[in-house]
Amino acid sequence: MKKLLDLRFVIGIFFAVVGALLLIYDLTTGQNKMMDTSVNIWSAVLFLVFGAGMIVLSYTNKINE
Amino acid sequence: MKLELIDYLVIAVYFLFVVTIGYVLKKKIKTGNDFLMSNRSIPLWITSLAFISANLGAQEVLGMAANGAKYGLYSVHFYWMGAAVAMIFLGVFMMPFYYGSKARSVPEYLAMRYDEKTRGFNAITFAVMTVFSSGISLYALAMLLNIILGWDFNVSVFLAAGIVLIYTFLGGLTSAVYNEVLQFFLIVLGIAPLVYIGMHKAGGWHGIMQNVDDAKLHIWKGMAHASTNPMGVDAFSLVFGLGFVLAFGYWCTDFLVVQRAMISKNLNSAQRTPVIASVPKILMPIIVILPGIILLALQKQFTGFELPLNADGQTDYNMTMPLLLAKLYPNGILGVGITALIASFMSGMAGNVTAFNTVFTFDIYQSYIKKNASEKHYLYVGKGTTIIGILISIATAYVARSFNSIMDLLQLVFSFVNAPLFATFFLGMFWKRTTANGAFYGLLSGTVAAAITHGLTTAEGKGGWIANIHTFYSGTSQAFNIAGIAFIVCFIVTFLVSLFTEPKPENTLVGLVYSLTPRQKDKTRIWYKNPLVLGVIVLLITFILNIIFY
Repeated sequence: MKKLLDLRFVIGIFFAVVGALLLIYDLTTGQNKMMDTSVNIWSAVLFLVFGAGMIVLSYTNKINE
Repeated sequence: MKLELIDYLVIAVYFLFVVTIGYVLKKKIKTGNDFLMSNRSIPLWITSLAFISANLGAQEVLGMAANGAKYGLYSVHFYWMGAAVAMIFLGVFMMPFYYGSKARSVPEYLAMRYDEKTRGFNAITFAVMTVFSSGISLYALAMLLNIILGWDFNVSVFLAAGIVLIYTFLGGLTSAVYNEVLQFFLIVLGIAPLVYIGMHKAGGWHGIMQNVDDAKLHIWKGMAHASTNPMGVDAFSLVFGLGFVLAFGYWCTDFLVVQRAMISKNLNSAQRTPVIASVPKILMPIIVILPGIILLALQKQFTGFELPLNADGQTDYNMTMPLLLAKLYPNGILGVGITALIASFMSGMAGNVTAFNTVFTFDIYQSYIKKNASEKHYLYVGKGTTIIGILISIATAYVARSFNSIMDLLQLVFSFVNAPLFATFFLGMFWKRTTANGAFYGLLSGTVAAAITHGLTTAEGKGGWIANIHTFYSGTSQAFNIAGIAFIVCFIVTFLVSLFTEPKPENTLVGLVYSLTPRQKDKTRIWYKNPLVLGVIVLLITFILNIIFY
């Protein structure tokens, strides 16, 4: 519960969840090809990487001055 | 535009998170100070992002994309000249007075520096403006969701207002600020793929250069005269009206944004908050203006990218962002894009409501209705004011739906009140001889001057309700000139009245006026902790950007 007070952790979880939803959706439907690869796939990867980065940051406590 | 289950899921996840943030923070709220001021305990990175996010409302996301399509690159002046310089000035020169005086709000600073009548004037006009702005934001959100998704107006109003009420009521200002940071990342990351896809489809920057009118791809070219650039503004009006008066008036005196810096942990963080915030701010045109320019390039190359007409039969530039979302995003990421739009509206609304409850509780209720009550009492008042603020917002949304012209009129009146405000603060902070009567009558005169200027001039069919003695090339030019005249009148009247009235004793102005306040020495001597050094670096970057896109 205490971790939920760390905004970096909350933001990280949010983007990880949204990224996972997009990934699952695209892998199960796989029909939204706007460019060479699916927009949903690379957006999902972007969100997952950003979310993971925020979660890692929340455990370092360096910028929470 | 048709949403699927995945899009609704993304929206639901967002709603769940914002409410959870409010619920988790509820336990930290014990006093009125916790609820309304976050007990001055928020980390620097959060205050910095909340500082720009409080401004990242619908007007920014939808309005600037519209400006991008209407005026092209010239719209970046709102960022590179307007916001950046003013934010650095606030951090370096004005924040020591706001934070150092221990004022809890901007009107309270005015009470300390001048007197109660100046505070009352500012507090009441600000409280009315914020709560109506919140309602206008709510109305715009409901209309947008109705037009692009077919959602029922009533459902949209009560759903959005209900969620903002839950998280601001539970967690107060801290909850609003935390959600603003989440909303910032959601808006940036939710719209960034749109920019990338749009650029790709338009043929990259080369494709934009080939397909967009060259007159819209510069920021200073043709500024010698209002008739030779798409914005219809000349360089003097731009630099003085926007770059000085409007930008400084908004970023340095509007409590809605200044409040985000005032809740920092210490003075140095409070000073660095707007300076650090200016870095993402100068990059924000990539997210909010570039889509408008991309649309222009796509219109030349493909069909189906034409903007619809509004009720007056004019091109509805406000539909720029929704049109791009509908055309370029598939389901899934479309849900993220729509959520980003909803977040921008909710961010603007929550920012207004939290600023409203702070000013009402501290500057109206505590000052004029009940002094010296317990902290618990002010906590209840703050929470009650939050509910009332949301209810007035809902009522305003319905009034706006029935009488759209009344909302236009209200926004116009607000602009008259805001225009001269910076002169009052500027003179008060940097001229110790400025008196309370000078400030009060200067503010009144500036507001009246703004209204008269609007009544005597026209632009795009608006204004001229007294007589038409001048026609501006655009509404933007008219707004910049009204602000400039209001500032000059306020400045002169404040100066003259101050010369003939009694100033406050100097010992009561220590910490409130520049020449009477001891300079703080930077003990750390670390460059990135020095707001002045950071500010100079940002200004240099801004200057280089202006040259590159000349």
